[in-house]
Amino acid sequence: MPVLPPGLTQESFDEALDEFRAAIGAQWVFTSDADRASYLDPFDIGDQQDHASAAALAPADVEGCQKILAIANRFKVPLWPVSMGKNFAYGTAAPEMRGSVILDLKRMNRILEINEEMGTAVVEPGVSFFDFKAELDRRGSRLWMSGPAHSWGSVIGNALEHGVGYTPYGQHAEQICGMEVLLADGTLVRTGLGALEGTREWQAYRWPFGPALDGLFTQSNFAIVTKMGLWLMPEPEGMAGVSIRVPRKDDFRALVDTLRPLRMTDTINAPYTIANGWRQITGGRVRAQVWNGPGAIPPERMEELLEERGNGWWSVIFNLFDSPAGLDLRLDKIRRAFAEGLPDATIEVRRWQQGDPQEPWMRQEVSLAPLGAVDWGGSPGGHSDLGPIVAPLGDRAEQVYDIIERRFLEYGKDPWVGMFGISSRALVFVADMYFTRTDAEDTARCRALFRQLCEDMQAIGVGLYRTHLRFMDDAAAMHAWGDHALPRLNDRIKTALDPNGILAPGKQGIGTWDKQLGAQP
Amino acid sequence: MRRSALAMVVVVAMALPAVVHSSEREVRSPQDIFADRCAYCHEAGGWGTRVLARRVPEGQAELRQRDNLPPALTMLVVRRGIGAMPPFTPTELSDAELEALAEWLASGTPRQRP
Repeated sequence: MPVLPPGLTQESFDEALDEFRAAIGAQWVFTSDADRASYLDPFDIGDQQDHASAAALAPADVEGCQKILAIANRFKVPLWPVSMGKNFAYGTAAPEMRGSVILDLKRMNRILEINEEMGTAVVEPGVSFFDFKAELDRRGSRLWMSGPAHSWGSVIGNALEHGVGYTPYGQHAEQICGMEVLLADGTLVRTGLGALEGTREWQAYRWPFGPALDGLFTQSNFAIVTKMGLWLMPEPEGMAGVSIRVPRKDDFRALVDTLRPLRMTDTINAPYTIANGWRQITGGRVRAQVWNGPGAIPPERMEELLEERGNGWWSVIFNLFDSPAGLDLRLDKIRRAFAEGLPDATIEVRRWQQGDPQEPWMRQEVSLAPLGAVDWGGSPGGHSDLGPIVAPLGDRAEQVYDIIERRFLEYGKDPWVGMFGISSRALVFVADMYFTRTDAEDTARCRALFRQLCEDMQAIGVGLYRTHLRFMDDAAAMHAWGDHALPRLNDRIKTALDPNGILAPGKQGIGTWDKQLGAQP
Repeated sequence: MRRSALAMVVVVAMALPAVVHSSEREVRSPQDIFADRCAYCHEAGGWGTRVLARRVPEGQAELRQRDNLPPALTMLVVRRGIGAMPPFTPTELSDAELEALAEWLASGTPRQRP
């Protein structure tokens, strides 16, 4: 069934499509039902047609993007740029606003530079983690990639969406150093030191003369990012993989307070993950194999399952990166901290050093592992994640955890909660709601639970690190301080840079689109 | 039940548009595409194989071992996704490449392992 951009007639859209075909080649303009279906979000929490696109365009280069922008501005065609379009659980390739046209940047897939001496790279949007790792391996590079849980996505896309990996470079947005961005009017800009002709320092320093703009183009709709510079980690001399089991639920506060100083002093020098009981019992099974009753798996059953596996109520996993002697010092400090703060915890350590074959716990290989858990709640499955950003203080983390667990149980969903010790001073919770996509009652319940938790989090001053398309307005509205001064500022920037509002309307709740007129009010 | 579902799949697939050939892109062989895009999940031990093992007769979970994979089904599933498998866009593999891949998987050739 055809879908039109809001405000356009079939006739005017057909005219725009003809111009797009002339600009980038007819074979790169996709309008058939089958082609458009491939850009739907397969894991949507509701009817995926709510976020259906009107067409997809796949330019080969910046010049193609500029031609598309000129046409889109004239016809007021909203564009939704995607890189690999694998933003699973957050919308995949689908647009926030139904009827947007996908701007698929997958053909722009060059790795423009990998600089061994500087530990930097410059890539285009269509470079996936699979591609990037393959190129590092092909070159025999001594630089390591920091990959997220699944490697299908784009290196640029993941950094722009504030994705996370498991190395000291695991906060991917922090590794960005210099961008090339295309503004809605077709102007091409290089940020930072890339603005100097003949520079060799574009990827060297993030704080150039004047405002540092890179952050402005992450999780936003202010421009199309066509190139990105990134920092890469030199191969470490050694690694230690640490697994910690913490027996009791009421150890949580002490756990967070024990980990915080270790992370803040960089003793733990990469993001750690904490998993609660429910999150640990999946293990390649589906839910029906362990619990067939109504509602969430009750805590008693969950604890039985944990005992079968010999797991504690909390599990902590992280890797350390250092020379063998440096690892000894770090491990000694970690053991002493736990002996004092959580004497009942058990600590297991694996070691690797340069020259040894790599092992799965090092998480250096590409992976699609999260897809294995999608059907946990029933097939065809899906999940959506609530991601509150929380100070790693025992009482604060416990306050947030208790609200999440209580609401999940109230709504009959398993409280499948993990946390990333993403930086020295932030924990990002990942509370997954698993659902059966074809069960309308189940998906409606998940949407209601998500919105309830947005209210709960806002009430205690906690915001989210990213959301599925469906909740972008909800998450943006939580930033209410000063009469929503920050969202209003975002809207003003949007209006200045993109007066027709053609770039990713609705992204992160920025800008509004008059669905009747097809333009910004 | 199984037969009628399959019949529906074939009808839907027949409604797909004519194959669009790209003049700009090097056309990759089905073997290369399978290795590049499918094998990670659909060879032994992959997530796709593990999920399919719950649903299909013994010995059929690995995609290259299937003896009942109509091309129309492969083409539909690749573009629309199924279960935990997400869809693939025409920029990841063209209609021509997808058609060749689907024919190759249906032909029995992949089962003749070296």
